[in-house]
Amino acid sequence: MAHVLQFRHALALVALAALLIFWTQAGYFGMEILAEIAVFAILAMSLDLAAGYAGLVSLGHAALFGFGAYMFALFTVLWGWPASLAVVLATLATGAIALIVGAVVTRVQGVFFIVITLAIGEMGYEFFFKNRALGGDDGLSGISRLDLSAIGVDLNDPGIFALFLIVVAAITYLLLVRLLASPYGAVLTGLHDNPGRMRALGLPVRTYQTSIFAFSGALAGFAGTLSAQHTQFITPNLLHWTTSGEVLVMVILGGLGTLVGPVIGAVVLTLLRHELSNVTDYWGFWLGFFLILIVLGGKNGIVGWLAAGWNALRGARPDDDQAADEPAEGEEASDAAR
Amino acid sequence: MLRADKLCKAFGALQVTRDVSLDIPQGARHAIIGPNGAGKTTLFNLLAGELAPDAGAILIDDRDITHLPPNRRARLGLSRSFQKNNLFPRQSVQDNLLLADIAARGYGYRFWPRLAARKDAYGKAATIAGQIGLIDDMQRGVAELSYGAQRQLEVGLALMAEPKVLLLDEPTSGMSPEETGRMLRLIDDLPRSLTVVMIEHDMDLVFNHADRITVLNYGEVLMEGQPEEVRGSDAVQETYLGGEAE
Repeated sequence: MAHVLQFRHALALVALAALLIFWTQAGYFGMEILAEIAVFAILAMSLDLAAGYAGLVSLGHAALFGFGAYMFALFTVLWGWPASLAVVLATLATGAIALIVGAVVTRVQGVFFIVITLAIGEMGYEFFFKNRALGGDDGLSGISRLDLSAIGVDLNDPGIFALFLIVVAAITYLLLVRLLASPYGAVLTGLHDNPGRMRALGLPVRTYQTSIFAFSGALAGFAGTLSAQHTQFITPNLLHWTTSGEVLVMVILGGLGTLVGPVIGAVVLTLLRHELSNVTDYWGFWLGFFLILIVLGGKNGIVGWLAAGWNALRGARPDDDQAADEPAEGEEASDAAR
Repeated sequence: MLRADKLCKAFGALQVTRDVSLDIPQGARHAIIGPNGAGKTTLFNLLAGELAPDAGAILIDDRDITHLPPNRRARLGLSRSFQKNNLFPRQSVQDNLLLADIAARGYGYRFWPRLAARKDAYGKAATIAGQIGLIDDMQRGVAELSYGAQRQLEVGLALMAEPKVLLLDEPTSGMSPEETGRMLRLIDDLPRSLTVVMIEHDMDLVFNHADRITVLNYGEVLMEGQPEEVRGSDAVQETYLGGEAE
């Protein structure tokens, strides 16, 4: 297990280095993409906690993301509160909502869980779509960013803001690594693998499921406050189930329950969406084709392919008769990941 | 230690458990046997808390646990194994045992200290692994273990809770003769302070390993007694041994 974690941390370091190198080269548009990647990386990591680690596959996660963004906008634009306070309170408010939602949705499992989270997410979308005070379907604009001028940082500079978000995403990753190494983190994997046995062993399963749903929701809300600051203009589309689906694709593409996988998924999907759409009108088609390639073969996303390729290169698993044809395709995946 | 008082359970019109009473003292090796359909598994699920009885009471250490969910019962010292292996298949033997320790001792809410720093948990996992004969397999994945070794781990998870009462649901089911022998030795070697209640289909197995036997038939207690009494009983011969033609 230890070397699996080391491999993932190495991947995370490579991803961070790649983003930082890209940052030194990026123009205005590149900075926008980097900021988007960082926000989605945090959102995807938050979903991975619930879906990948605890086995709570939610299709309403974007509603929590969007809720955080709207609360931030409400607090700053409409009520005039300072942005720093608004970040904290919007995050906590989203966590509180997720706690209530979590207490309800953890009553059901499997496909019913997916459907009920989808339904609740759509309720959230409808609410903000129809609510005129919050701009309805026109959205809300005029959102300002955190003021860090006291420490000489101007977040209104796109490059500085992108770097700021990358640093925040990196800190989030490190904190979650620590969380996952704790007894609580172990419980999450136990809940994923076998909730019934955890209950028989003495764990109040639903309490724990609700707690991780709430924490994951709070983190999604935090990502929402960052997204609102990034675009400075938000619409109800942030809450739409298609956004939830996109984040879930990032998590699965990168590798469920790997933490670094969702980060890589956010990088790859965001880049592909921007780059492919420059090249071809059929970018959605090729994106789908790429996803199928990655998911086929029974590997756990890009991280799974990379791990298999790495093991084959080291010859660590001579007993695996698939090892011979894995490296080629694994490299293909890793090339695409760049 | 473990008491059941006139437990009743019906599924629709089918009365599966009828006025079953048990009084199992501390340190007992108590077997519950009966032919297929006698209601053994239902009784087991009532005791473990997977099912709620229609009537009757269950007490552990004179504490009424009739309406407590399985996880609360486990925390009060009632630990169970499963008839079908019910493990954490992606994890190593050690991680399985550690998960059991976290759940059983209720420190899963601790989200900041590292699990790796809990030397006590690792020590206990090693002790139990020694007890169940898996000390050399600590780092192996559960999927790599033989079926018999998985069965041993199944009991090991239940033991991690340091229970007062251990409920074993057909601990030797599906095992080869050697594996069965190993499991029975494992059960014999459990500390005498521990109360062990096992459900067994194969009656011959329990005669040498239980000090008291309850025979179920059609959801009712047909008789309860020491192994020799049960073996000598005409009623048991007729409904169980005769019926099974073993």
